Amino acid sequence: MASGYSAKEEDGHHSGALGPAGGAAVRSRKPDNTAFKQQRLPAWQPILTAGTVLPAFFIIGLLFIPIGIGLYVTSNNIRELQIDYTGTESSSPCFACSQNYSWNMTTPCVCSVSFSLDQPFESNVFMYYGLSNFYQNHRRYVKSRDDSQLNGNLNSLKEPSKECEPYRTNDGKPIAPCGAIANSLFNDTLALYYNDPNGTETQIQLVKRGIAWWTDKHVKFRNPVGDDSNLTAIFQGTAKPVNWQKPVYELDSDPENNGFINEDLIVWMRTAALPTFRKLYRIIEKNSSTSPTLPRGNYTLKITYNYPVRSFEGRKRMILSTISWMGGKNPFLGIAYITVGSICFFLGVVLLIIHHKYGSRSSSADLTH
Amino acid sequence: TSVEHTLCHSHTVGEPEQHVFGLWEETRAPEDLHYLSWEVRANDRRFHQRQQRRSFLCFEWGKYADNAVRSYKYTPLTFLPLSLYEQFQRIANVYFLLMVILQCVPAISTLPWYTTMLPLLTVLSVRGLKDLADDLVRPRPDFPLHRSFTSVRWRDVCVGDVLRLRKDQIVPADLLLLRTSEPHSLCYVETSDIDGETNLKFRQALGITHHELSSEPVEPTLLAFDACVWCEQPNSRLHSFKGVLEWKGVRHLLDTDHILLRGTVLRNTDIAYGLTLYTGADSKILQNCGRLSVKTTQMERILNRVVIGVRKIVLLLLMVSLLLAVGAGIFEAQVAPRFEVLSALGAGRSPAYKAFLTFWGYVILLSPAMPMSLYISFEVVHMIHSLFIGWDLDLYDAGSNTPAQAHSTALNEELGQVGYLLSDKTGTLTENRLLFRQCCIAGVLYGLSQRHTDTRTTQHTPLDLSWNPFSRGGLQFSDQRLVDKLRDQDSTEVREFFTVLALCHTVMAEWKDGTPVYQAASPDEEALVGAAREMGWVFLSRTRDSLTLSELSHIRHYQLLALLDFTSQRRRMSVVVRDPEGVLKLYCKGADIVILERLRQDCLYAQGCLRTLCVAVRSVSEELWEEWSRALAKAAMMTQCGAVLDTLYDSMERELTLLGVTAIEDRLQEGVPETIATLKQAGIKVWVLTGDKRETAVNIGYACRLLDPDTQLLQGEELRSSSLLKVTEKRRKHSTSALVITGPELVQYIPNYFSTILQRHWPCTNTRSNNQAFGEQPGWDGRFMALSKLCQSVLCCRMTPGQKAGVVQLVRKHTSSITMAIGDGANDVNMIKMLSCSTFCTKQVPLLWCMSGLRSTMASVHRSESQACESDLSTQIWAS
Repeated sequence: MASGYSAKEEDGHHSGALGPAGGAAVRSRKPDNTAFKQQRLPAWQPILTAGTVLPAFFIIGLLFIPIGIGLYVTSNNIRELQIDYTGTESSSPCFACSQNYSWNMTTPCVCSVSFSLDQPFESNVFMYYGLSNFYQNHRRYVKSRDDSQLNGNLNSLKEPSKECEPYRTNDGKPIAPCGAIANSLFNDTLALYYNDPNGTETQIQLVKRGIAWWTDKHVKFRNPVGDDSNLTAIFQGTAKPVNWQKPVYELDSDPENNGFINEDLIVWMRTAALPTFRKLYRIIEKNSSTSPTLPRGNYTLKITYNYPVRSFEGRKRMILSTISWMGGKNPFLGIAYITVGSICFFLGVVLLIIHHKYGSRSSSADLTH
Repeated sequence: TSVEHTLCHSHTVGEPEQHVFGLWEETRAPEDLHYLSWEVRANDRRFHQRQQRRSFLCFEWGKYADNAVRSYKYTPLTFLPLSLYEQFQRIANVYFLLMVILQCVPAISTLPWYTTMLPLLTVLSVRGLKDLADDLVRPRPDFPLHRSFTSVRWRDVCVGDVLRLRKDQIVPADLLLLRTSEPHSLCYVETSDIDGETNLKFRQALGITHHELSSEPVEPTLLAFDACVWCEQPNSRLHSFKGVLEWKGVRHLLDTDHILLRGTVLRNTDIAYGLTLYTGADSKILQNCGRLSVKTTQMERILNRVVIGVRKIVLLLLMVSLLLAVGAGIFEAQVAPRFEVLSALGAGRSPAYKAFLTFWGYVILLSPAMPMSLYISFEVVHMIHSLFIGWDLDLYDAGSNTPAQAHSTALNEELGQVGYLLSDKTGTLTENRLLFRQCCIAGVLYGLSQRHTDTRTTQHTPLDLSWNPFSRGGLQFSDQRLVDKLRDQDSTEVREFFTVLALCHTVMAEWKDGTPVYQAASPDEEALVGAAREMGWVFLSRTRDSLTLSELSHIRHYQLLALLDFTSQRRRMSVVVRDPEGVLKLYCKGADIVILERLRQDCLYAQGCLRTLCVAVRSVSEELWEEWSRALAKAAMMTQCGAVLDTLYDSMERELTLLGVTAIEDRLQEGVPETIATLKQAGIKVWVLTGDKRETAVNIGYACRLLDPDTQLLQGEELRSSSLLKVTEKRRKHSTSALVITGPELVQYIPNYFSTILQRHWPCTNTRSNNQAFGEQPGWDGRFMALSKLCQSVLCCRMTPGQKAGVVQLVRKHTSSITMAIGDGANDVNMIKMLSCSTFCTKQVPLLWCMSGLRSTMASVHRSESQACESDLSTQIWAS
């Protein structure tokens, strides 16, 4: 299986014999007889025989199939619920709101969608919004932002990067945050209510902190720091993005979640790679160890409908999901493992049969069962 | 006197003598002179220095080049432009430069400009530094010599200088020979670095300069020499020279015979004086070498083809970019307008324009699909390879204390892909240390039969030669019978045999430690004279008209009447001597087929892979001699004396009586049979190209296991069979076969091929007649190659150096596999040059591979890059 290099033997007779008789200091140019220079370092060269390949196939097969099954089962145990509330059909509750697709509506349009959970959602539940047909991966769209402005640079705040064009200035005032990404911030407000069988409607506590990456929240995105600690004063002299209803310093009342470090903004600024994507919106935290986070029953989703998607035939979804150790619901990895494992096992069997039938001709191959 | 005349003629056989043109002025019209526009004024430095060629960057002006040896390519000023120029000959680099330029266009740049710039700069600097390092280690020979009899260095030699050369010095520039210390201003040069022929050549100064400049004191006379030479503009024709020497109002015609070319070595001549005609880059040898070109290996060319070639990566990349750009155009036209933000970003440009920009953007984005780092990896791998080659103990020669040396780092991997190995025999397969092994005198064979015994294992008892005061030892001959016969004084044949060996040669004797050491033009002559010395027939000295021998300690003087020189056409040489008793004798020594019919069959030594020479004698009557010498003197006066002399010589060398046959052995190098067997197992076709005769070559072939006992030998006639198909079919029945072909046969069958080469390199060889006789034979070369492909090995015997080069060219033209040539650098330079010469390497890579630092100095001086493998090292690499 392994073949090394045969050691080269030094032909010892010449070391003393050569050289002129004068005995002058003629430097011997003889190469050093070291393992490295003579290429005698230990080497391993695998030689593929039936004896090595067949076990490898079986081991891979037997290893991968259980892993795949485990992954698949784990993925299937994850509860997931998707509610499409786009409202393109006239029967849907948000139809009225969706027809109204101006960015600058003064009165918010609110619609509510009812749904029921057949099974309770255990542990933490993650609430996502999903958009379809939205090209957040467009090359110029992706570049249309000023990272140094979002990092709290005061100069960039007043003088945003040229990449932000045409969302760089509005009425001569620099836009904060500038660029197409920020301008198209998803601004629907989702609220979740549990309809008790006794008729009362209780709002479910949605946590808006902790949905962004830690590095984004603490390193990449920072509010500009001025003489005044007041955000409003710091953002004085800037304009809000054109499509926004309120300026960036009014996104949230919590000062730790306002301005550029608003987590909804941070999540949106991390652009999606595909036109159909979901982004984390809120977290429903498990509050007691006994009762499930979302018990089985009827729920109402109340939407403040602001974000128009009708022009590009987009869809809007709300997704509730639990997670496991391997993340969200994703059966692909398990299926892939099972497939590869099965193929290896199958090939192993086929090769074994071939080897048994014809292998006696090859002298070197030996298979131990 | 006539004797003197004969002598000097016999030295310059076939070449016109200068006095023939003594009245040249009257016989030639002056308009013939118009092409002789190169003016050289002797001892006029100021005149020539005014027109010294100078250069700045790539601009040059002035007429006369200086003699500095520029084996390096770069100067500090030219390094950057030259190196960049070479780098950008690699298409990949050009491609990446384009990418960098594209990225500098803001509208299409997708990545910052430095993302491609940095790798490109890395590649360029790594390559550049490597080339620079290679260039710095290139040897720059610069030897001291004497100009105007003060010591100068080569680079200070200027056109018009009179130089003094001593024995064994290398001629530093193309010189006009003015006079030498020898009689008749003869001088001997070795031209092996120019044409690969090892035998010494005669050059002779003009009579006028010889006589006029001989007056003592010599050197002031030479310094006052104020002639003017008009000759051709510098050119690359090694074997032709036209010019006139104008001195004291008389014009003397000059030709090749008066010229010492740069790179030749002065031999057997103590002092020679020459007038510098062409220096440095103007000299014939430098005009002959191509420029150093960028060497590419097969691997690199495959890579280039994959990367750049049609339907390869570039095209794929462009196609993908195009598809993506079309997609982008459709997206911009159909989808983007519906998004408020996207249409705002588009800034009102048309979708087609956006698609166009996107196309270039994708070309940049996908450019890493080109394996650029692979080029760097290759460089590094090559470098490490050559280090390991240098470190290999098996490639170290203890005798000369030289490790292997890879002179061209780029071509290492080619070594593993060699399909055809063209090897020289003498000096490469064999040691070229000739040993006198056997002789056959009057039908009695002396010396052990070597037919089936390995010479190395045979224990022979050395002869007791203590009775011989001139013995130097080293005789590998042990037959006491011969010594006894010699000393018994009764066997005239044996005595005469050794007399011939001691007389019939052109060897010079030198005295060392009281015994003569012989300097010979060819090693077999040396072996024979040396053997005669050991046996007691000691050649002591020669003068122009006499030879002195010591025959078993009796000193005898022979009067040398004529020396009928050896030429490769005649393949024999003779001397006419008058022995002390006054008897005229012609002694002849030559190849056995010349004197073949008188041989007894059991004396065919060629079967024992020995080199044979026959020795014969003829008694010449006084009348015949008188008549013949008169005819000879008359012939010498004629213009075209070459042919006449040949017929005259022929008439003299007749009615010979065979004295005996000598057999000389050329030993195989150590490990050659094993190596050849291994090479054959590896499927490498081994061709041996040798100048030996057929039988010797075949026997060497058997000895070095190139041929097996059951190998079927094919002759050159196979080519003549009506259809190759028949030949192929015939071959299939025999598992192994070998082709044995001779040089003349090759010229016969493939004349259009070999004659062109011959005319280019050996214009003196007349192959026209062959051309006409056989006409154009289209396809013969292809047929020859097809036949040789069926054979495991090919033996080409009776090859001239030029034909060797022709074979190399033929093989390279007809196969795609890599061809490697091995030779010991003397007569194989042409063959190896053929592989490296830039004019020929259009299709295949030259295997520039020099295994030792012992390659001839000149080869490096001349930038010929002819990588002659030093013989014993080359066999070692085979063995590894």
